[in-house]
Amino acid sequence: MTAPILDIQNVSAGYGNGQRRVDALRGVSLQIQPGEIFGLLGPNGAGKSTLLSCLQGLHTPTQGRMIVAGREPKQAKGALGIQLQKTALLDDLNAAELLEVYAALYDVQLTPERISALLERFGLSEQRGKFARQMSGGQQQRLALAIALANDPQIVMLDEPTAALDPHARREVWDVLRGLHEDRRTILITTHSMEEAEALCGRVAIIDQGKIMAIGSPAAIVAGLGLQATLKAAIDLPLEAVRGLPAVTAVRYTGQHLEIQSAAPQTTLPALHQLAAQHGKLVTEFTLRQPSLEDAFLALTGRSLN
Amino acid sequence: MYRFLTLTKAMFLIHIRDWSLLFWNFAFPVLLMVLYGAVFSGDDLSGFMTWMMPGVLAGNLMAFGLIGSSSMMTELRAKGVLRRLQASPISSGLLLGAYILANVGMALSTALVVILVGVAAYGVVLQPLNLLLALPMIVVTVVSSIALGQVISGVAPRAGAAVAIGQLVYFAQLFITDLFMPIEMMPDWVQRIGPWLPGYAMAQLVRPALAEGVLNDGWPLHVLLLAVYTAVALVLAARLFKWEARSA
Repeated sequence: MTAPILDIQNVSAGYGNGQRRVDALRGVSLQIQPGEIFGLLGPNGAGKSTLLSCLQGLHTPTQGRMIVAGREPKQAKGALGIQLQKTALLDDLNAAELLEVYAALYDVQLTPERISALLERFGLSEQRGKFARQMSGGQQQRLALAIALANDPQIVMLDEPTAALDPHARREVWDVLRGLHEDRRTILITTHSMEEAEALCGRVAIIDQGKIMAIGSPAAIVAGLGLQATLKAAIDLPLEAVRGLPAVTAVRYTGQHLEIQSAAPQTTLPALHQLAAQHGKLVTEFTLRQPSLEDAFLALTGRSLN
Repeated sequence: MYRFLTLTKAMFLIHIRDWSLLFWNFAFPVLLMVLYGAVFSGDDLSGFMTWMMPGVLAGNLMAFGLIGSSSMMTELRAKGVLRRLQASPISSGLLLGAYILANVGMALSTALVVILVGVAAYGVVLQPLNLLLALPMIVVTVVSSIALGQVISGVAPRAGAAVAIGQLVYFAQLFITDLFMPIEMMPDWVQRIGPWLPGYAMAQLVRPALAEGVLNDGWPLHVLLLAVYTAVALVLAARLFKWEARSA
C-alpha cells in the first residue's frame, strides 16, 4: 500500500470564539490514496466544506495534523486544483483569459493550444471569448472545473461541483470527472447527493455534525450495516411459507403487493419463484430495491439526508 | 515574474472593462473641464484652464485611489474572488503589488486623457519640461492616493461602504486643499488645516510642474508629507488586508 496523498489525523476545527464558537469538525481522521475518487457526503453544515478549507490551507485546524501531497496544507497549495462552493471568478475576463490567469497563479504558462484543449474538453470552445458573467450557470460551473485543472494538479478538490445544475448538466460534469479519474488524478469532492456519491466515488466518508460516521465504498458501507434489500411482487402466497425462504427476514402485505425484506435477494428470488410454481402461480410485476447510501445515511444518523 | 505580469494584466483588464470606472476616470474629468470652460467668463480661457486642468487632474487621481481603487478591491473580496486567489500559492504582497501596478496604469491613462483634452480643446500650452517635471509628481500623487484607498478597502465591509468613505475623504479635500478653488479664498481655519492634507500636497506638486514647468519652493516638504502618508497607509493597508469578507 502506498502512502496516502491526503492524510488527516484527528482534526478539529471551528469558527468564532467563546460563547459564539461553532465546532465544524470534531476529531476527523481520514486517509486518501493517490488516484482515488473520494466523496465527502453529508447534509449542509456537516463540516464537509470546512474540511476542504483546512486541506486547502484556507482555514487552520484547532487540533490534529494534515498532510497534503507530503506537505503541510499551506505549503501544498501548488499541488491542488480547486473549485470553491461559491464560484467566484474575475467575471470581467473571458474564458481563455481566465484559464491563462488562474494557471499563471500556479506559475504554469498555458499555450493557446492547451487553452483550446481545456475548453474543448469542457464543451466551452464556443465560449472562448465570452465573459464569465455572460455565461449560464452550467457553463460557469464547467469553466470553474476547467480552471481547477488549468495548473495540471495532482489533487483536484471540488466543493459541490454539481450543486444548482440541472440533471443533464450534472451528468455532463460526472462524465468529465470520470475522465479525470482516468488521468490518475486524486479527486476529492463534497456532495449532499447520494446519487452523485454512488455514481462517482470509489469510496465515501459519511460526515454528520463534524464527525465521520462511516468510510468505505458505497456498497461496503451499505453491506457493513447489514441493511436489507426489499423485494416487491404482485402475488398472493401464504406468509408462513414465504417467511421460511432463505435469507428472508421479514414479510408483509402492502395493498396488492407482497413485500419481502431479504439479506440476500439473489438466493431469495429463485426460491420465491419455486414457491410460486408449487402453488401454481407466477411471480409477475416484481421490483427489487437494493439498500442504498440513502438508507445507510438514515441508519447511521437517524435522519434522512435531504 | 510571469505570474506577476499575468495577474497585473488581469487586474488592468477588470478595471478597463468596468463601465463605472471608465466613466469616472475618463468621461467625468473631461466633463468637468467642459463645465469649467463653459462657465468661465473672463478673457483668458486658456490661462484659466492652465490653472484648472492640473486641479482636475490631481483631484481625479485622488478620487480614483480613494473611491475606484478601494471599492474595486472591496468588491473582489465580497464576491469571493480573493478567497479563490488565497487558495492558490500567491502571497498577499504579490496580489497587492499587481493590483497597485494595474491601478497606476489606469490612473496614468486618466492623466493622459485630461492633459490631451486640455491641450487640444483649451489651448493649454505644455513645454516638454512641464511634462518631464509633472510625471514624477503625478506618479507620487497616484501612488499615495491608491495607498490611502487600500486603507479604506481594509475597513469597508462592502463596495458601497468603500465608495461612501472614499467620497467623504475625497470631497472633504476637494475644496479646501487648493485643488478646485484657491485656498486663499477659504476661512483661516481651513488655511491652517488644508496644507496638512494629502490633497494640498498633490495640488502643490502637480500644478506648478504642469502649468509652469517649475516646482514650488516647498516641494521637498510636500513630497515628504505624501511619502509619510503613503508609508503609513501601506503599513495600515497590509495590516488590515483580508482575503475574506468578515461574515463568511
